[in-house]
Amino acid sequence: MNATFETRMDTLPQAARGSQQGAPDTSDPMIEIDHLDFYYGANHALRDISLQIPGHQVTAFIGPSGCGKSTLLRCFNRMNDLIEGTRIGNGQIRIHGIDISDPAVDTIALRRQVGMVFQKSNPFPKSIYENIAYGLQIQGVRDRRRLDEVVEKSLRGAALWDEVKDRLHTSALGLSGGQQQRVCIARAIAVEPSIILMDEPCSALDPIATAKVEELIHELKKNYTIVIVTHNMQQAGRCSDMTAFFYLGQLIEMGKTEKIFTNPVQKQTEDYISGRFG
Amino acid sequence: MPATYPDSAQLKGRDRKISEALLNKKRFRVLGLTPDDVIKYFFQGNAAVAILVLVLIMVFLLREGAGFFGQNLRNLRIYRLAGLEYVDFIKREVEAHTELTRAANALRMRQFDAYLKEGKTIEEANEALAQYDLFATAFGDTVNEVRSIASDMTEAAVAIKEKEQIYRDTLEQKAMLLRAGRSAEAEAVVASSVDFKSEVEALKAMQPAFLAANVEFASKIKAALALGGREPLQAPYMGPFNQLKKHAETYLNSFASVEAQMARWTNDQPIPWYESVTAFLFGREWLTASFWQDWYGVIPLFVGSLLVSAIALAIAVPLGVAGAIYVSEIASAAEKGIIKPYIEFISAIPSVVLGFFGVAVLGQCLRAVSQTPWLSWFPGFPMSERLNSLTAGCLLAFMAIPTIFSLAEDALNNVPRHFKEASYALGATRFQTIVRILMPASLSGIISAILLGFGRVIGETMVVLLCAGNRIAIPDFTQGIGAFFQPVHTMTGIIAQEMGEVVPGSIHYRALFMVGIVLFIIALGVNFLAQRIVKRYRISIG
Repeated sequence: MNATFETRMDTLPQAARGSQQGAPDTSDPMIEIDHLDFYYGANHALRDISLQIPGHQVTAFIGPSGCGKSTLLRCFNRMNDLIEGTRIGNGQIRIHGIDISDPAVDTIALRRQVGMVFQKSNPFPKSIYENIAYGLQIQGVRDRRRLDEVVEKSLRGAALWDEVKDRLHTSALGLSGGQQQRVCIARAIAVEPSIILMDEPCSALDPIATAKVEELIHELKKNYTIVIVTHNMQQAGRCSDMTAFFYLGQLIEMGKTEKIFTNPVQKQTEDYISGRFG
Repeated sequence: MPATYPDSAQLKGRDRKISEALLNKKRFRVLGLTPDDVIKYFFQGNAAVAILVLVLIMVFLLREGAGFFGQNLRNLRIYRLAGLEYVDFIKREVEAHTELTRAANALRMRQFDAYLKEGKTIEEANEALAQYDLFATAFGDTVNEVRSIASDMTEAAVAIKEKEQIYRDTLEQKAMLLRAGRSAEAEAVVASSVDFKSEVEALKAMQPAFLAANVEFASKIKAALALGGREPLQAPYMGPFNQLKKHAETYLNSFASVEAQMARWTNDQPIPWYESVTAFLFGREWLTASFWQDWYGVIPLFVGSLLVSAIALAIAVPLGVAGAIYVSEIASAAEKGIIKPYIEFISAIPSVVLGFFGVAVLGQCLRAVSQTPWLSWFPGFPMSERLNSLTAGCLLAFMAIPTIFSLAEDALNNVPRHFKEASYALGATRFQTIVRILMPASLSGIISAILLGFGRVIGETMVVLLCAGNRIAIPDFTQGIGAFFQPVHTMTGIIAQEMGEVVPGSIHYRALFMVGIVLFIIALGVNFLAQRIVKRYRISIG
């Protein structure tokens, strides 16, 4: 099981990425969720969720606080395993066609494929360089030249290189909030995942830093599949291709972003988007 | 419906009420203090009492201890003036000879045991050792003449010292009588000071006799060494025997320097004041209530305390820190609920109970383990003493574990959760996350936990008093690991043991206070360091 998972994980995204050079092929779903039920102890947090997240697009999860959108996001890289008492009751999550809710799945390999950026920017109390290189170092990469390369490439990818290239070896905690969050994005892309999960990445940032991160998300979708949880409706509208609306642990509606924002099918979606509740 | 506005009279009334409420003139007061003030002063007073007590302790310690240096200086001066120092040259020579004799006898014992093991009877063994015994007896007897001269001189020197003591006692008596107003009786008491110069001349008059005896002594030793023959012992013991002979040669060569030292010596060379401080801080001997000369050197106690603490920390740090990592990172909630209270319960065990356990069980067990034949390759095994620094160190480690565990666990728990999540999200294993993220981020907290554990260990008294063996000597570090199995005495132990027996105000009493001050300074330093590190740690986490 692990072997097939690893090999598929290793070969597929590269191949997929290669074919994506031209127009994004949206027909191939990257993440498929079938009738998923999720529990925090006795609390039934996610109810019968089924959806498909297309590759190389930005999918936004919206909904009021406590609706389960972050929980679902953390299911994709099994971060919920770290919280005691959580379990998947029913259903499947398939990434590249592999059911990752299987206990036999190697979460380490999974998390290298599915990167994550957190709500609060959380660089390690180390230098900028060490922050970016960490993901490779724990995989056993010692080659200094390779690390230098990856650090530069990742920082360029996160549109941060020009701002920090002269102080790579100073503490990442000395950067501004927006820069710290981009360090976290650079750190996530340094291990070359195929999917990046973003859990309210801009909620602690000012509008200018937010704009930079949004611009970056737009750039990143060429190479990565992005799932973003946001409370900011405008943000979902601005930077996502698909939007899913959750309410009380259930998926209410999912569709193309412009359709959800202009012509939602469900009454609840319309109410939430127009600000009548939530 | 038109709105009704209050008229101006009503408005004034309301304003007054508000201003009264704000100024609160009717508020309850005791002695002009509001309840808030009372509470504030109550807590302020409590804090002040704590600080005051600490200051009082410091002042008291210093007051009692400070007099030590003056007394010790006089102690050292009399040592020289009364000629004790002079006699000690000879006594050290005699002691060195005793040391060699002891080694020779120990060697005989080993050979004797080996013969018995071979199946020889006691008679046969003694017979086989006849040649060696000739040597050993002769060697042991060589010293007799010098020793008797040494003991004569010892008596003479002690007599001088006693005269000085009597002189000082009479002076004291006189002063007391004068204070009591009985001046007539005080007049009658005659104190005659000691003329050290002439007294010591009498002592030095014995020098020629000693020199003659010493020449005889040397030639007798040479003769005794020749008596041993070529092969008085079996092959495995010939090495130590030749070693012994070599030691005897160097011993003989040292005679010239002893004689030179004695010739140079005079009793009127001044002793500078700082020597009473250095004699305490760097003195390698703690010898009290001796008829000869008291030495108050803190080094053997200090080394004993450090050695025991080092053993304790070497055991407690890995256990405590690893336990903390397990509980904070790996254990399930149920395990946490069991492990934490259990470890914290250890600190509730009275230390005397632990000490009792050490005396009755642990010491015996450790020695039994060290005596098992298949462990004999281990350096220092088998242990000769049941109670030694290892026994005390093991128990102290047990006592330090809760301190280190609790503080290290706090430090680990204080590492923000999102560092850990970020590491896992990058595909790190649990081990990588612990070693590369959690440990560095909580390192200063862990270091301060270790320092506080050290403070706990070095200040512990009861366990070391019961289990460390209480031999006031610097462990013989030339034995390598064996040094850890030797009995020691500690700074805390000596205070507890001797404070009850000393005369208040005496030099011994003040010396114990000085030891207390040294302990106090160490504890203060360790705590200060720990606090500094914790502060830096808070900043680095940001």
